[in-house]
Amino acid sequence: MPPIPAWTSLHPLIIHFPIGLLFVAPLFIVAAAFWRRHRESWSLGALALMGLGTLSLFFAVATGEAAGQLVERTPEITAAMERHEALAETGRVVFTLLTLAFATLILVPIVLKREPAAWVRRTVTLAFLLAYAGGIAQLTRVAHEGGRLVHEFGVRSIVASTGPEAATPGADAPGREAREGDDH
Amino acid sequence: MIRSSFAYLSPLLLAAGLLSAAGPASPTPSAGTLNDMQAAYNGESNAHATYLTYAKKADEEGYAKAASLFRAAAKAEEIHAANHAKVINSLGAEPKAIIKAPEVKSTRENLQAALKGETYERDVMYPGFLVQARKEGKVDAIRSLNYAKTAEAEHARLYQEALNDLEGWKGQNTAFYVCPVCGYTSTTRPTEKCPSSFTPSSRFLTVS
Repeated sequence: MPPIPAWTSLHPLIIHFPIGLLFVAPLFIVAAAFWRRHRESWSLGALALMGLGTLSLFFAVATGEAAGQLVERTPEITAAMERHEALAETGRVVFTLLTLAFATLILVPIVLKREPAAWVRRTVTLAFLLAYAGGIAQLTRVAHEGGRLVHEFGVRSIVASTGPEAATPGADAPGREAREGDDH
Repeated sequence: MIRSSFAYLSPLLLAAGLLSAAGPASPTPSAGTLNDMQAAYNGESNAHATYLTYAKKADEEGYAKAASLFRAAAKAEEIHAANHAKVINSLGAEPKAIIKAPEVKSTRENLQAALKGETYERDVMYPGFLVQARKEGKVDAIRSLNYAKTAEAEHARLYQEALNDLEGWKGQNTAFYVCPVCGYTSTTRPTEKCPSSFTPSSRFLTVS
């Protein structure tokens, strides 16, 4: 059985879920609009993708914070991490609202067993897709900032890095004796 | 191809596929990081005691803001020592510190000594310890050392700021804000979260 990764190592794995799931979800909505015979199935598929994608966004933020605690900081890295985190938290709120809105749009007609007029459905779907595009733009910015952290600032998760091969001061290194001699 | 009536199941299949790509677990422990953690614990414990003594001296000399900074830094060092102690315990050892009597001089000299110590920790000691801990894959040690390194960098910056305008650091006590988890020290309470440990800013300790 393969080893189970630590919580602090999961971020690089988890981040692919919201990106994959939430980017694919609108394609299901478009399919529902064009494939009327199976509209309900495609719509429920889109809702499932959004639900799982949003859930994974929560995990991505949580694992990101855990991974961030292990990142060696410079002012530039801290600033980039704060940007990345702020965008991710906004994205989490945006997709939570979008998922709840879509669930309402899909489930209310099913529960009430009343189909809205075609023009109403088309207009609402179009409006939702436009709003969703805003969410996708936000998610893209989150991913971009995350990519910058890795590729521009060289931030690596613990699972992917063993650190630079620099010399480590030993327990009896002169520098440390001097430091302890200062009594700070 | 997935049949349309089961299309809503496709995310579950995708999730199951992605989860199978799980990575490796943490490597086995070794003595290097344990020695480093003991050295760090000793250093932080001494720093805590020293800064409290420096704070008294600063108060006597009328540098109330500098005294507040020393007390805030002392609190941070206490938090670092406690974090390091937990790691040492988890590695199967007892934390040990030999507290030496601090050499107290004028506040300016004390600030210079404190700055020297923090700079050493920021630039030499903690980076070296982190390299070792990363090599050994000791996540708890990396976190504790990283918290300390980030906070020491802020301490060094604040000590330098005090030295640049020591006369301006006279007067009344000033509030400093210390993260109870990582010891991050700041002159202002962070807007939402600690930039180092992501602890909510509402939990920050006010030290003056």
